[in-house]
Amino acid sequence: MDQSVAIQESLAAGATCRIAVQGLLPAGHSVESRLLGLVERRGQHAIYVYTHRRMAITAEDVWLERIIPITDGFAVEEVVLDSDLHVIGSDVTVRITSADGGLTVQLPFGSQTRTFLQELSRCSAEAVGSEGVKQNGKKAAVSQSSSHDSTDRGTPRQSKLKSEVRTEQVRASRVMASNKASMLSEPKFGLRDTIVKSQLVQKEDSYTHIQNYRVFVGTYNVNGQSPTESLQPWLRCDAEPPDIYCVGFQELDLTKEAFFFNDTPKEEEWFKAVTDSLHPDAKYAKVNVKLVRLVGIMLLLYVKAELALNISEVEVETVGTGIMGRMGNKGAVAIRFKFHNTSVCIVNSHLAAHTEEYERRNQDFKDICSRMQFCQSDPNLPPLTIGKHDVILWLGDLNYRLEELDVAKVKQLVEEKAFLELCQYDQLKRQMKANAAFEGFTEGEISFQPTYKYDAGSDDWDTSEKCRVPAWCDRILWKGQRVAQLSYRSHMALKLSDHKPVSSVFDVGVKVVNEELYRKAFEEIVRSLDKLENANIPSVTLSRREIHFEDVKYMQLQVERITIRNGQVPCQFQFISKPDEETYCKEWLTANPSKGFLLSDAEITVELEVFVNKSTATRLNSGEEKLEDILVLHLVNGKDYFLSITGNYLPSCFGSPIHTLCYMREPIQDMSAESIRRLTLMPVDMSDDPAQDEKPMDIPKELWMMVDHLNRNASQQEDLFQQPGLRSEFEQIRDCLDKGMYDTFLGSNHSVAEALLLFLESLPEPVICCRFYSSCLESASNYGLSCQIISDLPACHKNVFEYLMAFLRELLKNSGKNHLDVNILASVFGGLLLRPPPGHAAPDVAAKRKAQQFIRQFLLREDHLP
Amino acid sequence: MAKQYDVLFRLLLLGDSGVGKTCLLCRFTDNQFHPAHISTIGVDFKMKTIEVDGIKVRIQIWDTAGQERYQTITKQYYRRAQGIFLVYDISSERSYQHIVKWASDVDEYAPDGVQKILIGNKADEEHKRQVPKEQGLQLAREYGMDFYETSACSNLNIKESFTRLTELVLQAHRKELDELRGLPHAPTLARLEEDEQQPLGSEDTPKTCWC
Repeated sequence: MDQSVAIQESLAAGATCRIAVQGLLPAGHSVESRLLGLVERRGQHAIYVYTHRRMAITAEDVWLERIIPITDGFAVEEVVLDSDLHVIGSDVTVRITSADGGLTVQLPFGSQTRTFLQELSRCSAEAVGSEGVKQNGKKAAVSQSSSHDSTDRGTPRQSKLKSEVRTEQVRASRVMASNKASMLSEPKFGLRDTIVKSQLVQKEDSYTHIQNYRVFVGTYNVNGQSPTESLQPWLRCDAEPPDIYCVGFQELDLTKEAFFFNDTPKEEEWFKAVTDSLHPDAKYAKVNVKLVRLVGIMLLLYVKAELALNISEVEVETVGTGIMGRMGNKGAVAIRFKFHNTSVCIVNSHLAAHTEEYERRNQDFKDICSRMQFCQSDPNLPPLTIGKHDVILWLGDLNYRLEELDVAKVKQLVEEKAFLELCQYDQLKRQMKANAAFEGFTEGEISFQPTYKYDAGSDDWDTSEKCRVPAWCDRILWKGQRVAQLSYRSHMALKLSDHKPVSSVFDVGVKVVNEELYRKAFEEIVRSLDKLENANIPSVTLSRREIHFEDVKYMQLQVERITIRNGQVPCQFQFISKPDEETYCKEWLTANPSKGFLLSDAEITVELEVFVNKSTATRLNSGEEKLEDILVLHLVNGKDYFLSITGNYLPSCFGSPIHTLCYMREPIQDMSAESIRRLTLMPVDMSDDPAQDEKPMDIPKELWMMVDHLNRNASQQEDLFQQPGLRSEFEQIRDCLDKGMYDTFLGSNHSVAEALLLFLESLPEPVICCRFYSSCLESASNYGLSCQIISDLPACHKNVFEYLMAFLRELLKNSGKNHLDVNILASVFGGLLLRPPPGHAAPDVAAKRKAQQFIRQFLLREDHLP
Repeated sequence: MAKQYDVLFRLLLLGDSGVGKTCLLCRFTDNQFHPAHISTIGVDFKMKTIEVDGIKVRIQIWDTAGQERYQTITKQYYRRAQGIFLVYDISSERSYQHIVKWASDVDEYAPDGVQKILIGNKADEEHKRQVPKEQGLQLAREYGMDFYETSACSNLNIKESFTRLTELVLQAHRKELDELRGLPHAPTLARLEEDEQQPLGSEDTPKTCWC
């Protein structure tokens, strides 16, 4: 029963008892029981210590004795007690220290204690974390008792908080918690762990060998009596000392107190009696004694001291099947543990009484099997049931009776020692045969007379009014491989109860681990998993790692292809950006597709496209930038591949500044890279400098070529500047301009017109320099001011502007033929000649209108600029 | 059963192209050796689980392209490493001289407290040796690093050097590990380790990035 309920009832509103555990305080030579509640109030924690009335059920059963706040200076340490009896998995004695002193308390073995200690450790860790807050607040969680207030005065200087709950349990829980925070582990770890474990189980035979151990199993219904006679005839009947003793009792205490309070002085008496009667030729260690009792049902486990280290993962559980299916007058207690590498579960049960109730007994058995659940050391794993163990030893007062026969007949058959015949009437044998209970269990041949019911103190059958039919109530069964029963006996010498004790000795084959072989198996598994994992890292092959683009030209798309061929592992690929770069590749490059998914053995062709436009041409012309890039092809959860991209760019007048071109008397592609670089990088203001060796041309020859061509051939061309040209013709025009083949200017008027527009668009500095953009818009309706701006332009820009305006005015003279008007030309050229500076917002409708207005003025007026 | 895998570390192989980084990795993880040199163009990695001081350590070993033109890119991988192998080829004086450059890149780009060891690979090619062992030792001493002459070909010192670097990383992260494992950090042990670390030339207590 959860005693935190009683504590909770006693607390003021706002305080919560998170968990409670019953512990023992040493008091002189004896011990006193206390209830320890972990109480939370306003985010802070304290241990409330209560004296209590046996099993506390309501607030009236508990009296607050003191409060230990969990604050600075709080620590819990396990106390290792000197004891000549080697103890494993037994009670934990802990020393709780806080600012105002301490408390040593013995907590019972089991998951309740474990959880309590885990919670405690968590709260004390939190308390460290919130130290600052606490110092300010000054008022700790609880202020109900004076003893607690005194702790506030504690020692704030005591900065070193030791939180050393060193029990296995707490350590395990810490590992868990930090794994969740998990800076180290990948989610895969959990799965890997599971795989390793399951493979270790599969390979168990390779690193274990079977060794037999002798196990003594005893069961005794003591009918509420105290051990007034020696148990040696029962426990010490063989010459050879067993390796393990499993001793179970039923009806240890029949008083009401035992029924309601789960606490009985008989427990200690019988424990002592058993301990005193163990085989003298071996030294035994107890493996957990307490708590393994359910009112009158108790199970004691002893192992030879030298074997104690081979016992691990000890857990105990109880299941009540009595009144309301829960209370403990009937039910079972069980211990499970691992002995070497074999899991063992020992169950002591007391099933429903009365001859006709055999179905109830079957039900009890099933209930015990389904409700008996042991926690596992790894809290992530589901609880273990009885059936999950390699070896199950089931003992107890199973209460199955002899049916159909009357008392006289039974006694007669007993007299004749016709046990085999008598067994035919045994309910357990019959139920097992019908698979109604104890399925899979084995019971040895019964060669002793029924163990129930005798007159206490004698070997005489029950002489009471009821005159019960004798029965084999007390039984021992087993399930599992490699269990050999050596004996199955009753012990008539013991007379204190109305039952006789029963015992059975087994040789149990246990899987013993060879550490070296285990290690080998383990390493092998890890190696193969590593191998598997490495094989599962996505990996592809690329058809090429170096891609070269030859003779890349302005606005001429070049495409190269690479094939990504996947290996066995389906993978996701993506070109990723390099450090300090926003995109995965340079502006002139694209990969298509740049990411995707590949099934195993699938392949995909990626097109790498180079396209140099106005935004990249200038820097490529100058050589400031080269057609060089490294693409990083990343496989998700896998490798990265580098792809080298190289190419050479043929410089072009497109993208070259006006003043640069004015200095280029030769076609750009006939010039040395060095000259192109120098001229391209030359600032525009320098170009007007008379100190410059060479006199520049008035306007770029390429511009003249195109305008002159249009002037000669296209002045009457319908829809000039409004119809697109042909891409192939543009390429020819570009090549003619860049190579100086001016006489073979090919292409339609529309293509040349478009080339002119593209040329103007590609100018890194527009004809009307960016710095004049704003003032142009402002003076868009003031011709005088506008002319002033034009006259302020660098000479070559001014020349270009005037040249273009003159050409456009000429075109307008033929508007009857070419259908051009001022508005069309102003709108086409406004945006090209007048561009906002880089970084400036893109022009809105009003700005575009003003730019057109600016150009309009010059298209409408013939008169020369000042 | 206790947890099988406690930690994951990233180790990085650095050094000139052709010194045998990929071979070291293959020998260590797959126990294989392929004498033909295929340049690693990119960044590759493999996993391996080893046990050091009773701790199961999963190490992810990154093999990087050694060619110079890729170095600006490979540098971005440094910051994810907790341990770095600086590898040269004992038959190439040039690769040995470049260690200085590799080490300074590591100082610049790798996290503080990264553990480094020096490897002189191809120790089986004694007849072609250009870098005497003493010279390797000398350099390692200057940097305060451990030094191994290895051979992926003859499987010399492979396991030893990988285990050693893992050990160093583990030591450098002992404190975090202990916290992680819920063991109270024993103050005496901590002091000892700090003393030990000083001659290794670590300028301050390792600030570690686990992520």
